[in-house]
Amino acid sequence: MNIFVMILQPILFLAVAPLFVGIVRKTKALFQNRTGASVFQPYWSLASLLRKEMTIPEWSTWVYHVVPFVVLGAAFLLALVIPAFAVGFLPSSMTNVFVLTGILAVGSIFLVFGGMDTGSTFGNMGSSREMTLVALIEPTLFLALGLMGAIAGSWDIGSIVVNGAALPWVGMAPVLLALGALVLAALLENARYPVDNPATHLELTMVHEAMLIEYSGTYLAMLEYASAVKLVAISVLVVHIAFPFYIATPIASLPAFGIAVAAFFAACAAAAVGISFIESTVVKMRFYRMQEYALLAFLVAAAALAAAFVIQA
Amino acid sequence: MTWAIPYIIYAAFGLYIAAGVASLTAPRRNTLAQILITSGAACGGAAAIVMSIAIAGGVQDITMAGNTLRLHLLSVFFLYIVSTGALLTSAFAIGYLPRYAETFSLRAVNTASAVFVGGMTAVVLANAPSIFLIAWEVMSISAYFLVIADRSEESFKAGFLYFIVTQIGFFFLLAGFTILAQGAIFGTWRIVSENALHVGPLALTLSFFFFFIGFGSKAGLVPLHQWLPYAHPQAPSHSSALLSGVMLAVALFGFLQALTLFPVIVAQWTWIVIAVGLISAVFGALHAAVETDAKRLLAWSSIEHMGLLFAAVGIFLALQEHLYNPVVPRLASGIQLFVALHIINHFLFKVGLFMGVGAVVSETHTRSLDEMGGLARRWPFFSGAFLVLTLSAAALPPFGAFFGEWTLVQTLAVGIAALPPAYGIAGAVILAVVGLVAGLALFASVKLFSMIFLGRSRMTHAAGDTPLPRMLVIPPVVCAGLSLFSGLLLIPFGIMGGALPRDWFAMRIVPGAEMNGWFIFGMFALAFLFAFAVRRLGRGEVRTTATWDCGQDLSPRMQYSATGFAAPIRFFFRTLLITRKTFIAEPVSPQNPWIKRARLEWAVQSIWEHWLYDRMGEALISAAQLIRRTQHGVVQVYLLVVLATLIATIMLAV
Repeated sequence: MNIFVMILQPILFLAVAPLFVGIVRKTKALFQNRTGASVFQPYWSLASLLRKEMTIPEWSTWVYHVVPFVVLGAAFLLALVIPAFAVGFLPSSMTNVFVLTGILAVGSIFLVFGGMDTGSTFGNMGSSREMTLVALIEPTLFLALGLMGAIAGSWDIGSIVVNGAALPWVGMAPVLLALGALVLAALLENARYPVDNPATHLELTMVHEAMLIEYSGTYLAMLEYASAVKLVAISVLVVHIAFPFYIATPIASLPAFGIAVAAFFAACAAAAVGISFIESTVVKMRFYRMQEYALLAFLVAAAALAAAFVIQA
Repeated sequence: MTWAIPYIIYAAFGLYIAAGVASLTAPRRNTLAQILITSGAACGGAAAIVMSIAIAGGVQDITMAGNTLRLHLLSVFFLYIVSTGALLTSAFAIGYLPRYAETFSLRAVNTASAVFVGGMTAVVLANAPSIFLIAWEVMSISAYFLVIADRSEESFKAGFLYFIVTQIGFFFLLAGFTILAQGAIFGTWRIVSENALHVGPLALTLSFFFFFIGFGSKAGLVPLHQWLPYAHPQAPSHSSALLSGVMLAVALFGFLQALTLFPVIVAQWTWIVIAVGLISAVFGALHAAVETDAKRLLAWSSIEHMGLLFAAVGIFLALQEHLYNPVVPRLASGIQLFVALHIINHFLFKVGLFMGVGAVVSETHTRSLDEMGGLARRWPFFSGAFLVLTLSAAALPPFGAFFGEWTLVQTLAVGIAALPPAYGIAGAVILAVVGLVAGLALFASVKLFSMIFLGRSRMTHAAGDTPLPRMLVIPPVVCAGLSLFSGLLLIPFGIMGGALPRDWFAMRIVPGAEMNGWFIFGMFALAFLFAFAVRRLGRGEVRTTATWDCGQDLSPRMQYSATGFAAPIRFFFRTLLITRKTFIAEPVSPQNPWIKRARLEWAVQSIWEHWLYDRMGEALISAAQLIRRTQHGVVQVYLLVVLATLIATIMLAV
């Protein structure tokens, strides 16, 4: 049973990731009065990319070839350590929140290397911007996750999620504020509005897509898939912290597992609709205002800290 | 085995002296000098091993030349660092220095290196303040000769700055030890710490801050860091590695050694240590992020890491006040673990990176990141090792430094909940500052690697067409290998620090969090397997094409330079980074003034330089202007002043 759950959780994330992106795109299209492509379209896109021939820019080095592996590997690790429907099945030294931030950083900086290793300004521009954003959001991530762990008494992601259900109503305030900061950080990490526009390659707005611009074929499929997995994993983490119910633990009964898996799909759907709602109502911010965004995220985390101490007192 | 320790130490010093003599008398025999230093370092390492075994066996004192040498874990730990550093850098110098036979005087560099390494070894082994101070001076002054090794104008300027600061620091140390020892600085550490019991509170405070200033100036803490980013990069790269990776650690050793002498540490002092440490860390990280000189970037990063280490020492001391709280001893041991791991990791990646950059610069002949690029294509293996070192410097999993920083942030996070509110909030603030430092360090490391190795070469001359000589590659590769696996040190150190593992897989270092390097390694291995599996699904066809160029030929200058890469950081932190831009336009032809050759010169100036040093200089000059008014050249006035001074002196004396 344990091994089965351990394997099933990342597989669920890996399986639904393209569907998740499909739902986000579909709902966004509906918001814009378009019909949009089928929610299963990302599967076909990825499959066709996988089969295509790759073009490698002549000015790239071996690092360019390593990037898709590391980025996809990092996304896989997120799918591994973030609970899909059950917690407490992995050693807590793997699911520590600071390991999570480390994994996020590994994925981001290899993507940056990919953008730097093309010999063109487009990739370089995306890389410079992405690196700046990653550097600016780090304090918020550390503070928000560290605080959530402090409230839960454990820095294991699973314990943070489970502890949320046990909190009294008033005790939820700091957790929700820290979650707010985490959502702002998650939008940034996943290159969504208002930080980045995931739909264009336009040089004025682009960050994430610019770094991928030279990738094609199988490598592009790996990178696109990686960003989909990262998106779904982090979204589900946010939903779990916000709504810490119907999550299976090692002592749960079989029906409880069934409910937890169903809850996972509901969480995915809710997160996808939530993201497309944000993307349809918020405008993208100018890149040179990102310090304000990072500061806002940090202030929300600081407010969570203040709330935690006020409640304690 | 204990009886052998003095002889091994004599052998180490003998070999260092032999290396010095050999390079003085036969300056052309570079390899001989390096081999002598390397063997001396090997003896030093052997001494450290035998000493650790003796300590584990319960031996406390050994007799050496009629004196008692107290075996202390702290000394042994730093002896490992010094000896390993000397070993690696001298091995590197075998291949490195002959490339600079015209630039450097090999005689001066090798003699100074031998004396420098011997001085550092003596500092960590000293059994009394007097010996410590003499060894400290030997170390500092020989380092001066390393800084001025290329005898350029810039080096002399940097060396002069270094010399002034290090001498000021030395007198602070001398004063600190004299106060603490009640004058008996020739006694052993034990006598000094007994004398320190009788020192009054004011004198104790004074001596604490004298030590902080003295050792802090050596470690590059703000605002006495000014010399470091200028002096360290000017030395030959293997010496820069020793200066940044080892000598700064020795400065930290000195501070810790001095702290052991204090009968009591007042909590208010420690907040200043923490604050200064954190400000240094942020400041160093910020400057590393915007720096465009490869070696200076590494020097800034040393300031950052030393700041973190001093802040951690401060936190450790601040925690001592709350030992009644059951969680606090665990937190203190977590901080201790961070300090130990981070000294090792910082040493490994900094020494490796300086040697790596040295190897690169010996081919590119420029330190400017704006002019490098594309070297990963020429040296795939070397660039792989460099990548490992860079990722370790960025504290990313699964590399060594990650585990150190993880221990720190984890301990701070535990402190938020476990300590009284004021301390908890302070813990959270420090956590956030460490986050900022980590983010900026990430930025600096990525910039360093991508500018040197990725994309298209920006160099105007052919560089790196030949493979690097093996002796230039092996030492950085050794450092890279060690920093890859140093995360596993968590387990032995955790056991030594008293944090016994509940079971072998789940090391609980601080309450609420388990850390195990093996799991992290396993996890990453699994991730790569998965990525390879996905890759296998795709078709393997690969075609090399031109980079997308919008229909117009690309030139290497179109790529982002290090300057451009850091532009957003410079913009976002513009209040902390003073950018000086000057637009210089020179007419090309005398007939038409409109045809001009224009260029923009810019530099980032440190706020300390702008707001502290420049202001101090201005104040000094205006004071001198004021005093000048009294100088009329009238001899009677001078005689009056002499007379007044004489009377005042006599009155004061009576």
